[in-house]
Amino acid sequence: MFSKSVQNRLKLFSVVGIIVLILVLFIQIQLSKNIVYFYSPKDIKQIQNLPKDKIRLGGIVKERSLKKIENDYSFILTDRSNDITVSYKGILPSLFVEGKSAVIEGSLKDKNFFIADTILAKHDENYMPPEVANALKKNTK
Amino acid sequence: MIGTFGNSSLIIALLLNFYLLFSYSLNFFKKKNNFQKVRYLNFLVTVFVFLAFILLLWSFAISDFSNTAVYQNSHSQKPLFYKISGSWGNHEGSMVLFILILAIFSSLFSFSGVRDNLKYLTIFFQNILILFFLIFLIFTSNPFDVIRPTPAEGLGLNPILQDPLLSIHPPFLYVGYVGFSIIFSFALAGLYLEEFTKLWSKQASLWIVIAWTFLTVGIGLGSIWAYYELGWGGFWFWDPVENASLVPWLASTALLHSNITSMKTEKFFSWTALLAILTFTTSLLGTFLVRSGILNSVHAFANDPDRGLYILAVIMIISFFAFLIFILKFPKSPMPNVLIFWSRGSFILINNCFMIFFLVVVMVGTLYPIFLDALFEKSISVGPNYYNALLAPFMIVLLWFMAHGPLLEWYKFNKQSLIKAILQISFLTLVSSIIIFFYLKDFSLLLFLGVFFSIYLIIAVIIDVFKQKIISKNLARNISHFGFGILVFSIFINAYLSKEINVPIKVGQTIKQNAIEIQFKNILKSQGKNFEEIIGNFLIKDGTRAFELSPSLRKYLQPVQVTSETSIKSTLFGDYYLAINLSEFEGDKIMIRFYHKPLMLWIWISISLIIFGGLIRIFRKQNES
Repeated sequence: MFSKSVQNRLKLFSVVGIIVLILVLFIQIQLSKNIVYFYSPKDIKQIQNLPKDKIRLGGIVKERSLKKIENDYSFILTDRSNDITVSYKGILPSLFVEGKSAVIEGSLKDKNFFIADTILAKHDENYMPPEVANALKKNTK
Repeated sequence: MIGTFGNSSLIIALLLNFYLLFSYSLNFFKKKNNFQKVRYLNFLVTVFVFLAFILLLWSFAISDFSNTAVYQNSHSQKPLFYKISGSWGNHEGSMVLFILILAIFSSLFSFSGVRDNLKYLTIFFQNILILFFLIFLIFTSNPFDVIRPTPAEGLGLNPILQDPLLSIHPPFLYVGYVGFSIIFSFALAGLYLEEFTKLWSKQASLWIVIAWTFLTVGIGLGSIWAYYELGWGGFWFWDPVENASLVPWLASTALLHSNITSMKTEKFFSWTALLAILTFTTSLLGTFLVRSGILNSVHAFANDPDRGLYILAVIMIISFFAFLIFILKFPKSPMPNVLIFWSRGSFILINNCFMIFFLVVVMVGTLYPIFLDALFEKSISVGPNYYNALLAPFMIVLLWFMAHGPLLEWYKFNKQSLIKAILQISFLTLVSSIIIFFYLKDFSLLLFLGVFFSIYLIIAVIIDVFKQKIISKNLARNISHFGFGILVFSIFINAYLSKEINVPIKVGQTIKQNAIEIQFKNILKSQGKNFEEIIGNFLIKDGTRAFELSPSLRKYLQPVQVTSETSIKSTLFGDYYLAINLSEFEGDKIMIRFYHKPLMLWIWISISLIIFGGLIRIFRKQNES
């Protein structure tokens, strides 16, 4: 039906097309596996279904809320009107200070309790992660 | 005073740049070939941008706080070296550097042996780029803005940026990024004049290697800095800013190789041209991401959305016109379109496809969160596992093609010699892998494949070197490929076999875990020029080896910030890495983070080898055969 060169070109295009499709699928699968969503304390209070996967939570570490009970730390993360109690096992980074912003990673137990497995702190003391700044802004609106 | 001079030289540079563009256009439409004026104007633009740069350095060196940029990013108590390097550590200064490099490359290019018509069209395109960025600099981020009244003291520079490596890495990275501008301009000129031929590839190759080498140095220095300064034991965090430099590196590495193929086989010209455009566009995109402030990173210091928008608009315009020229003047190959699959050219093309795939993976991982945030106001982050899971398996296949590509011929295929090479290399690789895993006593499939194929590449390179009649032939390629093999090998071993200890510890106490013993000897206080420091002295024992590590915490006074200084003992087999942390809950205890990172030194050595290969190619004008 087609000439030889057209047939060859069709073959080439379909092979390339299939490979590209498979690769896109690969990327899609890995992306959905490795995405971590960010929530603010307000988001948590508002949503109906609690996320079961690992999430990030950002806000301000409430003043005088940091305590140590045996090997666990406990503190309150707030956006100034919604509070969530966080429990954390591990080492607190030196940039983790009461009254400053923090982003933590872990999972929710219920609407008021979060178990953190990582505290992300790579930045200086005056720096506020944009997500946290946004979360605070949303709340004051 | 300095500010006025600085401002004037920038405006003079802009006017000269206008005059150059006008004068060239006049020439072009009258079909005259008198380029002397363009040549001189081109030099003059460079001179005035250089003057502005020197004046900015001067303002920083003498801490002239009437200058906004100096006031915001410097402090009189800072060591002179960091005062000067602070000048490109901020947005305004780094843009001056950006334009200076654009101009310097433009001037250097006027000395190249390219035919006049092609050369000056390249310089014309390059000056259009200079125009865009000069306007951007003068109107949205002027480095010579004045504050009145003059403040008595500056706000200081982020202390984690006060580091010798970090201070010198932006210039290298910029020479890399911006170096691709001249290839971009040259490609557009070549396409436009329909001179995108074998000669173009030959003349472009040196410029590509220069920019590529600088980019590699910049990325390498940045990652060494991240390793010892951030204190998290890693050297690559898939941070958006790191990714922004990796994307042009992948594009340029693909370009470097496809250009060689174009030069040798007179094929793939359109692909090479596309990569030349892509490389510079992704460099600009990197600049945009870093400078716009949309990224959550230590590098993102611009917080003015206008700047981001302007750069984004410039990228759109530049890439739109570049692709327009590319489509209208699609380069044709003089050779018949027959391809031998088992040839060096097609192996290079296959690996080019892998590079582009890696590029897409990294780009998607970096940009997807930004799009999701912009469109749906959803904040997400993409975990490092995404990159590892997608890149590692394909890297293994890439290594195989990389090993065999150089062993194949350009035009003809000898089946016997390929089979012989496969058997020979596989045998040697299998033997060495078994020996290595016997010592590692640790096994996982991906680790094994990674180790196997990186050794496969290393052995293929060694065989290739011995097959050459003169050892210096293809030396640049062999050294870089050898380095790449070691790099992948070390990364795999490092990723799988690193160990970590996190514990609180008291002075005098000793902690033992497996073969490693950590003894906390004492703690000292000291005073630096602009910081106070607490130093912990530790004795580490690993088997028969014993040595001291002294990590510290620094409290910088301006701006007030605590940084953790790591202490690292490097050996050929691995690094011992120690950082300390204070915690008010531990009383007299200090928190330590200890890492054992195998083959860390080899990661740096292998990157140096890759760079060394690039340098050899720059300084010895022998080509790939």
